[in-house]
Amino acid sequence: MGVQSSQLEREIGSDQFPMNEHYFGLINFGNTCYCNSVLQALYFCKPFRDKVLHYKQQQKNQRKETLLTCLADLFHSIATQKKKCGTIAPKKFIQRLRKENEIFDNYMQQDAHEFLNYLLNTVADILQEKNQNKSKNSTMTSNGPTTTNNKADPCWVHDIFQGTLTNETRCLNCETVSSKDEDFLDLSVDVEQNTSITHCLRGFSDTETLCSEYKYYCEVCCSKQEAQKRMRVKKLPHILALHLKRFKYMEQMNRFTKLSYRVVFPLELRLFNTSDDAYNPDRLYDLIAVVIHCGSTANRGHYITIVKSHGLWLLFDDDIVEKIDVSAVEEFYGLTSDGLQKNSESGYILFYQSRE
Amino acid sequence: MAAQGEAGGKDEVKTQFATREGTYKLMTLSEYSRPTRVPYNGQTKDTPVRVSFIPMHGSQDPTAKNVTEDKICFNVGKELYVYQYKGVRKAADLTKPVDKRMYKGTQPTCHDFNQFSAKPDSILLLVGFSAGQVQLIDPLRRDNSKIFNDDRTIDKTKVTCIKWIPASSNHFLVSHASGQMYVYDEDLQCGPAPPHYQLFKSGDAFSVFTCKTKSSRNPMYRWVVGDGSINEFAFSPCSNYLAVVSQDGFMRVFNYNSMELLGSMKSYFGGLLCVCWSPDGKYIVCGGEDDLITVWSFHEKRVVCRGRGHKSWVNQVAFDPYTTSYDVDSLPDFCGSDDDFGQGTSVRNSSLLQETLRGSARSNTSKGSGRSFPDRTSHTSGGPSIVCYRFGSVSQDTQLCLWDLTEDILRQPFGRHRTSTIISQTSLPPGVTATTTTPNSISSTKNNSVASQNHTSKEHSTADGTAHTHQHNSSSSASSGVMHKFATLALGDRKKEDHDKKDHKRNFSLGSRSGDKVPLLKSGTNKSMDDAIRLMGTLSCPRMEDVPLLEPLVCKKVAQERLTSLVFREECLVTACMEGYVYTWARPGKVGLTRQHMLASPPLMPAGGSTML
Repeated sequence: MGVQSSQLEREIGSDQFPMNEHYFGLINFGNTCYCNSVLQALYFCKPFRDKVLHYKQQQKNQRKETLLTCLADLFHSIATQKKKCGTIAPKKFIQRLRKENEIFDNYMQQDAHEFLNYLLNTVADILQEKNQNKSKNSTMTSNGPTTTNNKADPCWVHDIFQGTLTNETRCLNCETVSSKDEDFLDLSVDVEQNTSITHCLRGFSDTETLCSEYKYYCEVCCSKQEAQKRMRVKKLPHILALHLKRFKYMEQMNRFTKLSYRVVFPLELRLFNTSDDAYNPDRLYDLIAVVIHCGSTANRGHYITIVKSHGLWLLFDDDIVEKIDVSAVEEFYGLTSDGLQKNSESGYILFYQSRE
Repeated sequence: MAAQGEAGGKDEVKTQFATREGTYKLMTLSEYSRPTRVPYNGQTKDTPVRVSFIPMHGSQDPTAKNVTEDKICFNVGKELYVYQYKGVRKAADLTKPVDKRMYKGTQPTCHDFNQFSAKPDSILLLVGFSAGQVQLIDPLRRDNSKIFNDDRTIDKTKVTCIKWIPASSNHFLVSHASGQMYVYDEDLQCGPAPPHYQLFKSGDAFSVFTCKTKSSRNPMYRWVVGDGSINEFAFSPCSNYLAVVSQDGFMRVFNYNSMELLGSMKSYFGGLLCVCWSPDGKYIVCGGEDDLITVWSFHEKRVVCRGRGHKSWVNQVAFDPYTTSYDVDSLPDFCGSDDDFGQGTSVRNSSLLQETLRGSARSNTSKGSGRSFPDRTSHTSGGPSIVCYRFGSVSQDTQLCLWDLTEDILRQPFGRHRTSTIISQTSLPPGVTATTTTPNSISSTKNNSVASQNHTSKEHSTADGTAHTHQHNSSSSASSGVMHKFATLALGDRKKEDHDKKDHKRNFSLGSRSGDKVPLLKSGTNKSMDDAIRLMGTLSCPRMEDVPLLEPLVCKKVAQERLTSLVFREECLVTACMEGYVYTWARPGKVGLTRQHMLASPPLMPAGGSTML
């Protein structure tokens, strides 16, 4: 291990090695690469890492162990390593994860996107619960109604990852448009062969016609009417997490199969499908991390992550860390030949960070 | 047959497609590839297949047929092929390549014939390689070969584009993934040691160096342009200007000789991958990782419009000088001068243009349609005589798009109010567009394929002011000439006008999220001095709603694999894809010129049934 880490250091070069940065592989505890890959991606989401480390400082003498304290301990221990490179065992975190959620309490391969979702929501819940306790105490004295659980103040997880979709429905009879907002922490997009993430995102906002049994109840017409519906982005998140729906349930086979389609993703991205009243539609995003699924099915296979750190691209494969060239990113777009069963190393979750 | 789609439905690979001028047909026997086909293994590391042509003059002499036929060059994997190109008239003979080379440890990435020094027994072909080397070969005489940057001391990165410098028989320009371009002299040595450079000239985001040696050596100049790989460059038809596109998302235009930056534009996002000049040198078209086509006016130094139709990155763009429409009134000014063009056009196009000039005499008399290519000076001096530019694009989405760039689009001023004139000209109440849709187009309300047949035909019916329902399956026929002027204007643009008419029923064209956006909301977010952010909303990178959005005249899946190359020729257009197949698509009416043993149906078919669905 010592040899490995110094090799990475040599590759980067001591004069090029970023100050106060640590590149540590995470040891695999039996099919925990879904977890390791997401943790690495989140560690290199700078705003997220900063908040987690800040939380660690605040919670010096926290008695109760939560998933967030375990995450904070893990990030803290990476960030305070003496060596620049090496490996670390996220043992406490994995134990806590297995204790808290039975889905993850086994040695099976799990879905990295599901884990990301679970982790972000759990962290948000922990933070909001705390805030609420605080605000409860303070608002008790005043006569305002106590806030309900789902109306909790947004926490920093929301500040970083949350965006807003607006769901516009137009009644085809009276032409009235009604819209409803929905928050998201990541966007799941359908994939097609030989397309770009831009195209997949536009598909996300395709107009749907609601007709026959799916007619829409129009409040103006006071009856069920044909309507058109589309979803567009109203508030663009600071970090845009895009999940490519590469696992598709095949009824004939009675299992999930992987779509290894080639979906290209640029290093720089803007969104086309923003709503007219979007508050920051021009946001320019930079690709900062990609969780990659390797293999042919959801339950078998492996996850790795590539991240951009201080202008360098690095590949994290559990405990192994390698420096890669930016041109190697194109190896993870997917395959062009149509075989569904084909083994591929293809981008699964993309993390884009807003440049401002 | 490789071109036939195995899968049905919308994924089917087309073997013909219709435009307003008629039907283009795939000439299945004019397909060029490796002599023996190997299944494509989908290697992502493979380099794109590029195609170069050289016209061999003197082909009027029928006795010397084999020597004087045009040559085609393309690279596939580690191999490079040169064949006689027999066009649409005769089947390709893959068993007898003029030249075939296989390389080890490095792959050919791009190539360019010297159009000026070509002789029946000698042609010069430059080849760039993935490891940075450059080779000069003569496919007709095997003995004659030179290597530049052989030990890779000049540049180790992939050659991305290589061109002979126009009107020069011995200088050439080579761009690399390192973001640098080098000027070489064919007759100079590269020298054993890495070159030492000294700054010669510099400007905003570029600098030019010369070699610091007593005796002159290669490279003569080193250009450093932008940030990241230079993906392609193109000389203007007059050969004075050089347009360069880079991975940093910028297109920069230089005066090549004085080495001055004359203008630039930024992609909507992501790298720019390809660039070309309009035949009159007035416009530059780029394509890139934003899936868009961007048209930039050289004179106005601004983005004039964007085109959306591709589902993935745009690999190559090219103007079609043969389908450019001219103002009939300006035609009397026409005075074709071969000499002017011989000197004044880019290496790639010059000979095509000469051919056009020769061809135009024919087409003027036969068709009287003014679809020809008059002398450059006649329309730069005498007002706008080109009324409709045609260009094409090929993409990683395996689709070919053809675009019409009309006067109406080009004349629209920057800003949001622009579409109003167009709409008033159509004299069509916006509501009508919505109601003319047939069931066929309602099903296309899922706006996922801008390129669909339905969609295209909708444009026609609205632009024309009447509901040509028969077009819904056939796209426009050659006879519907009235329509073409507006054929590519996006419906979404029109939508803005209808804002107080409660918006449109269908077709939420996403790019048109516009119209009514309050500018106040957007300003004040960019404190950063970052170029890409700073330029947003300027003439170099307008917002989507600030410029017209073109939709393609034609958008067809024409290959199984990613398309990598597109060349317009007088009788045909030529596409190539990653698999290594080079397809020839006969132009409307060009198939019948041959009494051929191929199964092609007669030309100029009626609009109905002409498109295979």
